[in-house]
Amino acid sequence: MTQPLLQVNDLAVRYGDVQVVWKADLVVEEGAIVAMIGSNGAGKTTLLRAISGMLPPYGGEIIFAGEIVPASAPPEFVRRGLIHVPEGRRLFARLSVWDNLMLGAYLRDDKAAIRQDVERVFALFPRLRERRWQDATTLSGGEQQMCAIGRGLMAAPRLLIIDELSLGLAPRVVDELVDALRKVNAAGTSLLVVEQDVATALEFADHAYIVDRGRTVASGTAAVIAADPAVRTAYLGL
Amino acid sequence: MLWLQVLVNGLALGGLYACIAAGFSLVWGVLNIINILHGSLIVLGGYLAFFAHLQLGISPFLFAPIAGMLLFLPGFAIQRVIISPVMARPVLMTLVLTFGLTLFLDNLMLVAFTADYRKINLQPPLGVLEFGDVVLPLDRLYATGIGLVSVGALWLVLRSTQLGRAIVAVRMDRDAASLMGINVRLTHAIAFGLGTAMAGVAGALLAAIFPISSLSSSGYLGKAFVICVLGGLGSVPGVVLGGFALGVIESYGALAVGPENALTMSFLLLIALLALRPTGLLGRKGFT
Ligand SMILES: Nc1ncnc2c1ncn2[C@@H]1O[C@H](COP(=O)(O)OP(=O)(O)OP(=O)(O)O)[C@@H](O)[C@H]1O
Ligand SMILES: [Mg+2]
Repeated sequence: MTQPLLQVNDLAVRYGDVQVVWKADLVVEEGAIVAMIGSNGAGKTTLLRAISGMLPPYGGEIIFAGEIVPASAPPEFVRRGLIHVPEGRRLFARLSVWDNLMLGAYLRDDKAAIRQDVERVFALFPRLRERRWQDATTLSGGEQQMCAIGRGLMAAPRLLIIDELSLGLAPRVVDELVDALRKVNAAGTSLLVVEQDVATALEFADHAYIVDRGRTVASGTAAVIAADPAVRTAYLGL
Repeated sequence: MLWLQVLVNGLALGGLYACIAAGFSLVWGVLNIINILHGSLIVLGGYLAFFAHLQLGISPFLFAPIAGMLLFLPGFAIQRVIISPVMARPVLMTLVLTFGLTLFLDNLMLVAFTADYRKINLQPPLGVLEFGDVVLPLDRLYATGIGLVSVGALWLVLRSTQLGRAIVAVRMDRDAASLMGINVRLTHAIAFGLGTAMAGVAGALLAAIFPISSLSSSGYLGKAFVICVLGGLGSVPGVVLGGFALGVIESYGALAVGPENALTMSFLLLIALLALRPTGLLGRKGFT
């Protein structure tokens, strides 16, 4: 059996004395699209921040591409291709779309490949090309999310983690983003997406995890999760 | 034609003044540190240029970039070892810390070089350019020109290199910057090092035209401060504007109230400006 791209075992995360994630177990297979759903404050963002090295785990381990990644060293995670598009996009103000994209490629020095990847991002999101000299934080919400995803893609990710893909965006824009991400996935990048809109998430992903009060409480193929009566009442309002 | 001569005198210092303030503004804008040490580092750059000229016969204009390179590493180390541990504390903490460092460095220079004023005597003197009644000393033209070129180089680094982008990114959003794989602490140290390097360049250029002394650091710090506020914190065009503004204001001030009161006048202007437009003329957050 081939090993998964990302494996999270028994992860626990604290902010000081406040424990937020108690026990998270998660697997992302190479090439998969995995959705993570859960109510507000369940600990999804915290879990992702630990997975990308922004927070030191209090317990458990993160295995990426077969290797345990040393705790809390974001550049190590980026170098290995584990890239996190944060909640709220967090584009760099006062810098152009172009500069933001180039910062995504900060640890790379393969100039030719970087240029190719910019072209790829512009092909995926043509509006970014038109606006490439504009201050990134003056873009519309949808364009900002495109820029944030594009910035993530510039790191040549093996796994792209996206926190709150559709928050605050019009359905049409969300469709556009989902289409683009399908292309990204088809080109070989695995995806781990936190998504408020559970219906969209379960349609987009092939696998889903449910996070509740700091624990991964259920997982399965998206179809199975979508059919789960508990999920249907709690998250789909059916 | 007196007013024209006075204008030329002021403008002839503008580029040098921009150079004095650029590193101070960079460190303030990017690291949110008011680096009191900046004036002493300028003096140190001046002494290095003085001795390079005295012992090795190197022209201070040629030595300016070397002074910059020599002062980069101490700045880098000071940030990494001394300031970095208190970066998360309120701005007053780093202010007090750099104030302590400046007392230390000033006294060290006092012991090493005494308080005597020293002047580089360029042999042969560079002479002056004459346009009718208006005279422009060539040493000032060189100092201002090289000062401007150095500030321009800093601007290019910040605007169009990965390092420059990283410096701005770290200023704007530290967490998001580390998500890019940027080493925040290293970037802070490099930015601080660039600031001290600019102080070194400015010091060498100052030593080419003015006498230097280990007691003059606070005067340079004051000028840097005024320039930042005049032009607005956090931008290279701002320090250039502020540098030329201070040069001209001081020049007319010297004419109106006597040279000894020119700096006082600049500070009065500073207070007025702070009251009217606290972000300066071109002021904004960050550094570009
Ligand atoms: N920096 C912090 N310090 C202390 N507690 C925090 C911090 N950040 C988040 N928390 C707490 O951790 C818990 C989980 O927050 P988290 O942001 O991970 O949830 P989430 O599942 O992403 O929620 P949402 O869907 O609203 O984004 C919350 O109770 C929150 O108050
Ligand atoms: Mg969240």
